Amino acid sequence: MTFDRDAASTDALLTDLYLDALLAGALLDDPGGDSPRLDPAARRAADRLRRDLVRVHPSFRFEERLATRLAEAAVAMRMPVAAGAEGRVVALRPLPGDTLDRDDPATDPVETAGRPGLDAARRNAGRPLLIGGALTSAALSIAGAAYVAWRRGRPLRGDPMARAARVVRAARPASRRSGVLD
Amino acid sequence: MARAVLGRATGPERAASPRPDRGGRVAHLDRDRALVEAAQRDPLQFDALYRRYLAQVYSYAYYELGDHHEAEDVTERTFLAALAGLGRFDERARPADGEGASTFRVWLFQIARNSVSNHRRGRRRHAEEPLEAAAGVADPLDVEARAATRDDASAAWRAVAKLPGDRRRAIVLRFVDEMSTAEIAGVLGKTEGAVRVLIHRALRSVACELGARR
Repeated sequence: MTFDRDAASTDALLTDLYLDALLAGALLDDPGGDSPRLDPAARRAADRLRRDLVRVHPSFRFEERLATRLAEAAVAMRMPVAAGAEGRVVALRPLPGDTLDRDDPATDPVETAGRPGLDAARRNAGRPLLIGGALTSAALSIAGAAYVAWRRGRPLRGDPMARAARVVRAARPASRRSGVLD
Repeated sequence: MARAVLGRATGPERAASPRPDRGGRVAHLDRDRALVEAAQRDPLQFDALYRRYLAQVYSYAYYELGDHHEAEDVTERTFLAALAGLGRFDERARPADGEGASTFRVWLFQIARNSVSNHRRGRRRHAEEPLEAAAGVADPLDVEARAATRDDASAAWRAVAKLPGDRRRAIVLRFVDEMSTAEIAGVLGKTEGAVRVLIHRALRSVACELGARR
């Protein structure tokens, strides 16, 4: 059994060496060559496949169409990140001894979920702003400043008046609520 | 059709042993390394890799699927996926691969192989055409029909098409894409010894098939 396996491996190795030479073109003048130990039938099959299994090429139209599509995809990959994405989150009024770092897991809303102590400590702190991206254009700066002013004047969630206002609003019929900004 | 010998190191170049570089590490063996690095820096440079390997990937898909349109579809998916994933490509050339080997090519053909598999699965899942038409699409004899004027090529392909999956793939990669045993092993996820045996047995099967037709 082991002998058979070794013999098969040896035959396979000889075939492989023959194919290396055949495909490298070393046997073009003498296909078949001097490989007395190689199975003649396998050698003939190899010669035949070398001659008949040709590489096929797609149409020129397909080649250029795909090239164009790849170029478009490449251009999209080269484009800078979306407007605003390059901004960073900073604290408008940071806590003493605290910096609101975007990379800090404690500032990640997902990471801080379920940690009320930390949330309460930040409740009265300034709200984070996105700067550098959205506020760089003049038009957006005006809109951004108005938005910040509105957000600053808006009661926080924990405020009793805000809770009361939400309860009253929720009690009103939906038809009367339409078009009213919260 | 003239046989284009693309991207294969031959003779002494192929036989040369890998050189260690100054740092004692094995020198990179990927002949596409410069092109890959350029494309990783600037995706537009991927075009050079695309032009180099288009015919090889297309041929592989064509011999696997037996239909030009489906081969084009798979080729397109392969190159788009390769471009999108090029940043994650990790070169792992081995000395055993030889200097003519290209790990990028192995990686690309792994993508092509997966694309062909996905395409086959999708074809089975969305078989909306009548059975006769679907059978016509799937039948590798379509290749044979296109080569009807060339009896020899047709007979050779018919013999290869009858081989089981991995043997057929190994033969196509060896003869059509002219890959080394190490590269085929990388594409098929097998050892080099296993690939040698696959090819040896495949050749004997082809020999029997061609002999029986005489």
